[in-house]
Amino acid sequence: MSMFYIHQTVCVSAQKTNGVINLDDIQPINDNKLQAIEPNYDDIPPAMYRRMGRAVRLASGAALPLLNTLTFNGIVIGTANGGLEDCIKFLNQIVDYSEGKLTPTNFVQSTTNAIASQLAFFSANKGYNNTHVHRGLAFENAALDVAMMLNEFPDNSYLLGGVDEISAYQYNIESLAGSYKKESIASADLYTSKTTGSIPGDGCTMFAVSKQKVGAAAKLKAIGTIHTNKVEEVTQYMNHFVTKNLGSDTINLFLSGENGDNRHLPYYTACKNIVPNVAVERFKHLCGEYATASSFALWLACYKIKTSNLKNVLIYNNFRGEQHSFMLVENA
Amino acid sequence: MSRIFVTGIGIISPLGDTLSLNHTALKQGVCGISTLQLIHSNFAGKLPVGEIKTETNTLKEKLKVKETGYTRNSLLALHAFMDAINDSKLSNEEITSHNTALIGANSVGGMCLTDELYKDANSKSQGSEYLSSYDGGSVTLAIQQRYSMRGIINTINTACSSSANSIMYGARLIQNGLATRAIVGGSDSLAKYTINGFNSLYILSDEICRPFDSERKGLNLAEGAAFLVLESEETIGNKKAYAELTGYCNANDAFHPSSISENADGPFLAMQGALQKANLQPNQIDFINTHGTATENNDEAESKAMLRLFEKVPAFASTKSNIGHTLGAAGAIEAVYSILNLTEQEVYQSLNYKNPIQTIGLVPVTAYTKLPINHVLSNSFGFGGNCSSLIFSKA
Amino acid sequence: MEKATLKQQLKEQIIQFLNLTTFKPEDIKDDQPLFGEGLGLDSIDSLELIALLDRIYGIKINDPKEGRKILVDVNTMVAYIQQHRTK
Repeated sequence: MSMFYIHQTVCVSAQKTNGVINLDDIQPINDNKLQAIEPNYDDIPPAMYRRMGRAVRLASGAALPLLNTLTFNGIVIGTANGGLEDCIKFLNQIVDYSEGKLTPTNFVQSTTNAIASQLAFFSANKGYNNTHVHRGLAFENAALDVAMMLNEFPDNSYLLGGVDEISAYQYNIESLAGSYKKESIASADLYTSKTTGSIPGDGCTMFAVSKQKVGAAAKLKAIGTIHTNKVEEVTQYMNHFVTKNLGSDTINLFLSGENGDNRHLPYYTACKNIVPNVAVERFKHLCGEYATASSFALWLACYKIKTSNLKNVLIYNNFRGEQHSFMLVENA
Repeated sequence: MSRIFVTGIGIISPLGDTLSLNHTALKQGVCGISTLQLIHSNFAGKLPVGEIKTETNTLKEKLKVKETGYTRNSLLALHAFMDAINDSKLSNEEITSHNTALIGANSVGGMCLTDELYKDANSKSQGSEYLSSYDGGSVTLAIQQRYSMRGIINTINTACSSSANSIMYGARLIQNGLATRAIVGGSDSLAKYTINGFNSLYILSDEICRPFDSERKGLNLAEGAAFLVLESEETIGNKKAYAELTGYCNANDAFHPSSISENADGPFLAMQGALQKANLQPNQIDFINTHGTATENNDEAESKAMLRLFEKVPAFASTKSNIGHTLGAAGAIEAVYSILNLTEQEVYQSLNYKNPIQTIGLVPVTAYTKLPINHVLSNSFGFGGNCSSLIFSKA
Repeated sequence: MEKATLKQQLKEQIIQFLNLTTFKPEDIKDDQPLFGEGLGLDSIDSLELIALLDRIYGIKINDPKEGRKILVDVNTMVAYIQQHRTK
């Protein structure tokens, strides 16, 4: 099934990826986090801004430049934890006020589809609207969703986004679960770390996508996903994905989602070994680890294709060593 | 594009834990709404809800779940999933195939464990067994892991339209050649979180809900789950099909976070789009399973949308009058009920109705009736203006 | 409590409760309509203000429609608070 062309993009991340892009001036891990640089919020009416949790703010700030200049037939978002901060705030109210008179804003903002619906509201967009929340493959499913809509309506264009927030509460839960490094770590040492855990990140990446080749920045040629914790099943899947979508073509760049967690390294090493002569780069020292980090990777792939004149980029990412995705991005 | 058929159904609701029990209860006009019992809350003993009167531990034992981290939501989903795959007689090879998709939906995730979540999120604990069970994806992942599923797996959360959207997504996967079969549906369990959330919006009724009635006061929250097995005409073989999914559409009202606009553009566009997809005229719809939550806003708005679209509004009812509003599970549960309209050629009484909405004048089905039914439209309209409509047709 | 003090306090509380970060108390006129054209609040804000009245002043309003009759502007809110407060 053919995918789509990517036109305009906005990337809000811990790096200078929004506005004037400068990936040479790498923003390091700070306090063991890679928190996104908040975008400009001038375009958000204060009456709406005041209610927004971080994920909705980041998504609004990222999407508005696109919503204000382009027309879309629908909006599809992938987010695993969007709204969790508001969720816990409401939960705290339930406990603090013993289920008494509670204020609804936190509750309404805590629903994961608050993001997609806010964006629809900004642009009076009555088209297709969906929110995928499948943890480490939330963004990939959102992309597949858009691809299928474009197959059915080839003249349409869609706003596709991936967003997740670091909230204090989410951080607590993930810390207890052992997702993050207990020791301090610098960006330069992330990939040689011998310990478990990674560095949390957050951010939002938005893509204007359609079937139009003219003027496109890149093409998302194929996406493949698999749930497994067996390395051999991942490599088997990768072989099948590469054969099916690349044939005898070579890969210019292998963009790896290694995150410094030594438990997940075997998957990345095994996949890298399938393409031994291909240049390898990593991206989680730039954006941190979060469920929809693959949306950052897709943006980075488009950026590298354009600035380094690459033919293609193969992205491999996994979340917690259980949800794996491959994305093949090509020069348009 | 491939035709999509429903070959398996699993459902658990306040009307019972089998399709047969649900059918009998609907026929008899049973109301499964009762007083909240199983949750420790100030609302217990007071609030009318559609509660499944099976304790979580009992569900766990029944389903032989020994793994940690299973929430009530996951258990309800698993219950319905197991019945659906058995009903469709799927083999282990088929379930684990790369060509079998699993698309779940829910709005509560693991937040039914309100107390554990509070402690874990506020670092007041060493970490409960549920640390990875709070997000929406955890419910679908629990099933994926148990059955070692290797195809496309996904979870959708668009509030009250979630499982209607998961049904659509699964159908699309088949029609785009990304899956040969899709097990689709949704679940939600009652939770202190949602009870308090809806209460803060003043849309809960302190009485049993009365969809489309002039004196309606709001909705009753409920819990349940339903999964359907979707297969294409190419792979269905000799299997009996319950119904065909002929139309579907999602549109957005783009008006307000928790209410529908006066013109009801979202509902209108969703229903119209589903008809277009099914290549049907409005007058070919024999029955509408409405969203019908019994809130002041929804029932009036939905009625207006129906009047805009249909020259003569067909027979309609709200099964939320039988079970309440199951949130993320509603789309799938009501899809099952719509399929019963088709397989049994009958419609069920919309309960607790006395008088029409004054400015509207529409009257729902008021008694169990045998009726020739070829096409049923099922609506699910969620928070954030997310509106979805499905059309099922006689197979 | 003196009316003027209560008005000032209420304005600060409204700003805080509704997170009106771009407003200062002096920006809210006593007779400026809270909803519609004036301050531009919406139905969710009205529910927030009902919660404010309960939490800070111990006033219980169970019907949001009745609540809107009280939540017209700062003047009407203050008058109601002075009459019905239990805290």
